[in-house]
Amino acid sequence: MLSKLFPDRVPSTWRLGIMLGVLVTGSTALCITVAGWAMKRDLGSIARAVVLDDLGEYAVLYNRNGLKEIKDVFAAGGHENDQAVRITQPDGIVLFEMIPAAVDGYDWPEQAPDGLNPSAAMLTTLLHPTKSQELLAGCQVLRDGNVLWFGRTDAEDRAYVEHIRGDLWLAGLVSSVLMLLPLGWFVRQVLTPVRAMMQSTRQLAEGSIDARLVAPGAVPELQAFAKAFNDGLDRIDSLTSELQSANDILAHELRTPLARIRGNLETFHDHTDNTAARESAARGLEEIDRATDLVQTILTTRAGEHRALKLHLEIVELHALLGDLHELYKPAAEERGLRLDLDVPEQRWVLLDRQRTNQAIANLLDNALAYTPRGGRVTLALRVHDDKVRIVVHDSGPGLSPTDLTKIWQRHTRGSAATANTPGMGLGLALVRALAHAHHGSAGCRNRDEGGAEFWIELPAGDPLASANGV
Amino acid sequence: MNLLLVEDDTELARQTGRWLHDAGHTSTHSDCGAVALRLLAQEPFDAVILDVGLPDMDGYTVVEQMRARGFGVPVLFLTARDNVTDRVRGLRAGGDDYLTKPFAMEELLARLEALHRRSNQAPPQPAQRMVGRWTLDPLKRRLRTENEVIDLQPREWTLLEVLLANEGHILTKKFLLEKVWDIQFDPGTNVVDAMICRLRRKIDTPGHPSHLQTVRGKGYALQALP
Repeated sequence: MLSKLFPDRVPSTWRLGIMLGVLVTGSTALCITVAGWAMKRDLGSIARAVVLDDLGEYAVLYNRNGLKEIKDVFAAGGHENDQAVRITQPDGIVLFEMIPAAVDGYDWPEQAPDGLNPSAAMLTTLLHPTKSQELLAGCQVLRDGNVLWFGRTDAEDRAYVEHIRGDLWLAGLVSSVLMLLPLGWFVRQVLTPVRAMMQSTRQLAEGSIDARLVAPGAVPELQAFAKAFNDGLDRIDSLTSELQSANDILAHELRTPLARIRGNLETFHDHTDNTAARESAARGLEEIDRATDLVQTILTTRAGEHRALKLHLEIVELHALLGDLHELYKPAAEERGLRLDLDVPEQRWVLLDRQRTNQAIANLLDNALAYTPRGGRVTLALRVHDDKVRIVVHDSGPGLSPTDLTKIWQRHTRGSAATANTPGMGLGLALVRALAHAHHGSAGCRNRDEGGAEFWIELPAGDPLASANGV
Repeated sequence: MNLLLVEDDTELARQTGRWLHDAGHTSTHSDCGAVALRLLAQEPFDAVILDVGLPDMDGYTVVEQMRARGFGVPVLFLTARDNVTDRVRGLRAGGDDYLTKPFAMEELLARLEALHRRSNQAPPQPAQRMVGRWTLDPLKRRLRTENEVIDLQPREWTLLEVLLANEGHILTKKFLLEKVWDIQFDPGTNVVDAMICRLRRKIDTPGHPSHLQTVRGKGYALQALP
């Protein structure tokens, strides 16, 4: 429920701040309301007691000495400003009235209620036509039948409540400010470490495998999280280096027996006079070479995917590199009835592993040559965008199906245009991607608007000297 | 050539020894680096074939110690690791060439001969090199007869030169890719085959046997005089 409370972009400091603010304001308001209501209730009963008390006193004075005594009391002064005293005859004619300005203007009843026994008192609340103060009035029938009225406004009570309410608001404000302290704690011990972790994670995503989460001064849970995460990363690191050495071991363990088999087969090939046997041996030799390449491709792909591939970086001029590849592939393309064009407008020096880059582009060219029907056209092009270079191979072949576009980069996936005669095991593009990845680059493909497929590898191409110094 | 073969895999050492013998070379086998260093001091060798993964020390260390003791004999590394970084490490340690397992006999021999030629200040090339009826013109990079001229593209010329330098020997696709195009992997498309066909069309005389033989499973060989 709370998750839907804020738009997605509102940062958590704001969320927490707003929630705390609302809660503190709400609870302060609730306190004040409840306290005000309770005070009003208590002050009301006190006021009733005061009125009854005073009524009783005035009744005693009157009963003892009549109206004169009352008049004397008032003549002596010291009468409170918010209290009124009246004495009326049973029929309502006023005998005495002492009403200060603050209590003026109330509509007193004319007669005491019927059946009110002498010396019994009755209370009633009178409203002022214009003012908000109420008058609590009491009446008592005196011994001679006249009626004594005593009234007291709640102005003082109200002022009292107002004072307390003001003090409560002040206390609420102070406590609100104090409640913002957890917010500061949250920012320092939770949010800031989380931000630092985000930064490290971003570095990880960008490929710096040494980055680790750091959470100094963070809450214990975050520190535990960072530790668990870092342990995981360390484990991945050790797996990567294990993989690297496993690759070396596997390569060695597999290559040496292959070398023994190949050697014997070659000797057999050279020494047999039987044409069929020689032919079989030749096929065997080809198969062994293919198997060796396959093992190497798988190992290189695995290492590249995990950035565990050792690159031999050198400063290379791309115009020349692509020109050489174009020249290498041109005869093979022509033999297949294809036109191979080179579209490299400018020279560009970059830092990369020449053999690995050649291998990646060669794989793209292999594919283009295999999938483009006779009479078609394949282009090897270079596009330079600021600090990136994109090496593009596009063709006039059948293009890629929607499934191809997403799946074609996976190992052992071959394009939908593949036929039984198309060579390859579907490892080529996985290798291309792994090699691009090893260079901190990427690989991609799309269908061209003008028809045919386009594959590319994009490599970082900052200042090669600066990059070389950084290595 | 008198060769020192340092290889701990006995089967591979046996095969290689036999190939070297068949090719007219003599060889001494050692299965560890320490023995190899001792042998080097006792007998003059023309080249050393050195496995990188030896039981007592790796091949790089053997070469470093060889060089430190003043042996300048050319070294060809044999290794199961196929990547440029290891290749560069081998060459930096003082090796002269690098061959990955599994390898073809012809490639081993071609590389050994190239090393041998290099260390013995190869004899000056004959003033006139010929392929069939063609005379090579190295300055203009073209082929001539009395009344015909063919221009060769730079790579075609390099290919012809590499083939001619190893005339009569079968050269593997891998070897040609490395020497002619500086490519150390095998592209899926048979680019070498296409280039050989193109060169063949240029140098062969119709109606005569081809100068350029393709040997299935092994490679290509040039016969200057068919």
